[in-house]
Amino acid sequence: MNKDIFVVIEHRQERIADVSYELLTKGYQIAEKLGGEVIAVLLADDGDQMAQSLKSYADKVLYIKNEIFKNLHSEYYCDALSSIIGERKPALILFGHTVDSFEVAPALAEQLGIPIISNCVDFDIDGDFVRATVPLYGGKINGEYSFNAENGGIISVIPGAFKVENPQKSGEIEKIEFTFEKEYDDKEFIEFIEAAAGEIDITQAEKIVAIGRGVKDEENIDMIKDFADSIGAVLACSRPIVDAGWLPKERQVGSSGKTVKPKLYIALGISGAFQHISGIKSDTIIAVNKDPNAPIFKVAHYGIVDDMFKVIPALKAKIEEMK
Amino acid sequence: MHKLLIKNELLGCIQCGRCSAGCPVSLRTALSPRKLIYKNLRESRKLPKSQDIWSCTTCRTCQQRCPKGVSVMDYIIGLRSYQVERGKIEPTMRDALESILKHGNPWGRPREKRTQWIDDETDVRILSEGEETDVLLYVGCTPAYDPEIQKSARALAKILNDADVDFAIIGNDESCCGNEVKRMGELGLFEMLVEENTALFKKYKFNTMITISPHCYNTFKNEYALDFEVLHYTQFLKKLLDEGKLQISASIDKKVVFHDPCFLGKQNDEYDAPRELLKYLLTDEDNLLEFGRNRERSLCCEGGGGRMWLEVESESPRNAEIRIDDAKSIGAEIVATSCPFCQLTLNDAVKTTKSEDKIRVVDICSLIAENKFEETEMEE
Ligand SMILES: Cc1cc2nc3c(=O)[nH]c(=O)nc-3n(C[C@H](O)[C@H](O)[C@H](O)COP(=O)(O)OP(=O)(O)OC[C@H]3O[C@@H](n4cnc5c(N)ncnc54)[C@H](O)[C@@H]3O)c2cc1C
Ligand code: SF4
Ligand code: SF4
Repeated sequence: MNKDIFVVIEHRQERIADVSYELLTKGYQIAEKLGGEVIAVLLADDGDQMAQSLKSYADKVLYIKNEIFKNLHSEYYCDALSSIIGERKPALILFGHTVDSFEVAPALAEQLGIPIISNCVDFDIDGDFVRATVPLYGGKINGEYSFNAENGGIISVIPGAFKVENPQKSGEIEKIEFTFEKEYDDKEFIEFIEAAAGEIDITQAEKIVAIGRGVKDEENIDMIKDFADSIGAVLACSRPIVDAGWLPKERQVGSSGKTVKPKLYIALGISGAFQHISGIKSDTIIAVNKDPNAPIFKVAHYGIVDDMFKVIPALKAKIEEMK
Repeated sequence: MHKLLIKNELLGCIQCGRCSAGCPVSLRTALSPRKLIYKNLRESRKLPKSQDIWSCTTCRTCQQRCPKGVSVMDYIIGLRSYQVERGKIEPTMRDALESILKHGNPWGRPREKRTQWIDDETDVRILSEGEETDVLLYVGCTPAYDPEIQKSARALAKILNDADVDFAIIGNDESCCGNEVKRMGELGLFEMLVEENTALFKKYKFNTMITISPHCYNTFKNEYALDFEVLHYTQFLKKLLDEGKLQISASIDKKVVFHDPCFLGKQNDEYDAPRELLKYLLTDEDNLLEFGRNRERSLCCEGGGGRMWLEVESESPRNAEIRIDDAKSIGAEIVATSCPFCQLTLNDAVKTTKSEDKIRVVDICSLIAENKFEETEMEE
């Protein structure tokens, strides 16, 4: 079996998808076992900056440059990847299981004549074999699949399956100006359409500042909104705030509101009723509450027991200072 | 004519309007069972596409009041099931149903954590396949997972232990009873749960099942074909009292009013057991007050029919808020109930009506446990 792990980086509008970082992190666990390296494979046109931001996550960034890679075109992707992979023969090639890779990964496997398991939530190596866990029947049961990876293989993993950790590497960037022998004119990229910016969709927010009855008065909301803006967060709330008519229903988090999955959730003056917290799927919850016995502290990763009206200005000042 | 209309006797309707007049949500939403029936019979015999049916709490008031035996509520549930079949369901309800399918509970919580409510001070036996017990305590999803309602589960376990009842639970293999599933109109999933649960219960030997929630009680008792006795915990505790196995001393000298849960009262005619239990707790029986709308006329708290996962648009106050205001106006200090959903809706209403210093909402089993075991967790 070969040793290196290739992670094919997914990006759109010059932004790298989270799943790519997740795969790089997982890649290290596997590479360690194999004694190999993790290599981020970036197919891009204007990719210098993206390559830079990948450096600390990989032993090497293989930046394959061509104008065509500005947008996803699966045929060109496959041709470039199969040529590079054919040359360098990594142990495994990892993709996010996303609409982008649906088009590329299986075709690539076919082109290279190597095995693939798609839609995985986990995988590991076991001698010459790769074993992967794949949810079936809408996640009701998991299937275990494996293939012989002597000649390499492809795994595509559902976003969110692994946590991201920065290994603090400083991988070199190898830039390859790629040229194509074959042209494909049956498919053409027309336009990138941004999702309509309508009412704020809190389910898509990366940072949320949520308020509860602790905010006391409608007048105090402006100040919290300022604080949220200052850290680029979206304002959300518990149900009583909607009941009072202080924020619209779209902002309600909970079992009868929205389920949110931000990276950071700051709960201000929220007691943490089950109906509220069952709508929070976040890696980092910070709670500010006067009452040390408030149930929110049972789910929070960090807690501040104090008056939110003292904490917010202090926090805001500190954040300004750090900017 | 659609079979749903025939099955539910819609043609018998004389448009008297008793159903709508009694409907607790027609007070605050556009739902009017009578109008729905009128439209369905006069204007079009196709099933109405109205979204109003989703505000129904399946309290059964309409069906109970109809002089012509029209199965109004069943008809509404039937309408829901047609919408569900076509994929028309609110995302929050869909999520709850999906979670039941995947994890056996509507709260999106992992199955492995179903017994997490049991703390160090609670002694509960978990049955292994083939094992025997006299009483099977069916915990139910909300008492198993909601930290507020877990207190009721622990309180009940303590009381049962104290009364030397031979009881046990199923543990992490326990699954949702499906009462709300059926009422949200997901009849396929409900049938699956009935099958799976019936098979699960066969793995153990027991004589009586008791439930914490009247919702579980209702479906096990009326919608499953089980070969053992099913009781709500208030009925079981009352029996223990009568048999002298449970002692309760009068200790509460506050004014208490009992809120009849729809699924215990209206749907199963049990009005007395909870009141009897409360009388034992009160130093003065006269302190047991009654709501103007009580027993079969009890105002639904809007926690049933899947409404735990669906908010309805309305300018008017929630019924739970009306209930709390009513309680205050008759001078009650404690609103006792015996249903997890009622507890949650009423407790929330205590907050939104800013009545925290006037009214306490509490489950009867927590009251009994507080009474029996002085330093309890319930007082916190
Ligand atoms: C059917 C049903 C569905 C529900 N669905 C939802 C839902 O989707 N989403 C939801 O959120 N709720 C929902 N609820 C309501 C839920 O049960 C709780 O009542 C609600 O979440 C409580 O909101 P809260 O935390 O803002 O208020 P409270 O519980 O009153 O908490 C306020 C908190 O603020 C703290 N506080 C007060 N002043 C300060 C201060 N100056 N500084 C810091 N802290 C302070 C207090 O200590 C307290 O902990 C639902 C309820 C029911 C019955
Ligand atoms: S079951 Fe209750 S809420 Fe539903 S229509 Fe009938 S009376 Fe109204
Ligand atoms: S109570 Fe019965 S008869 Fe009267 S309007 Fe309603 S369904 Fe018709």
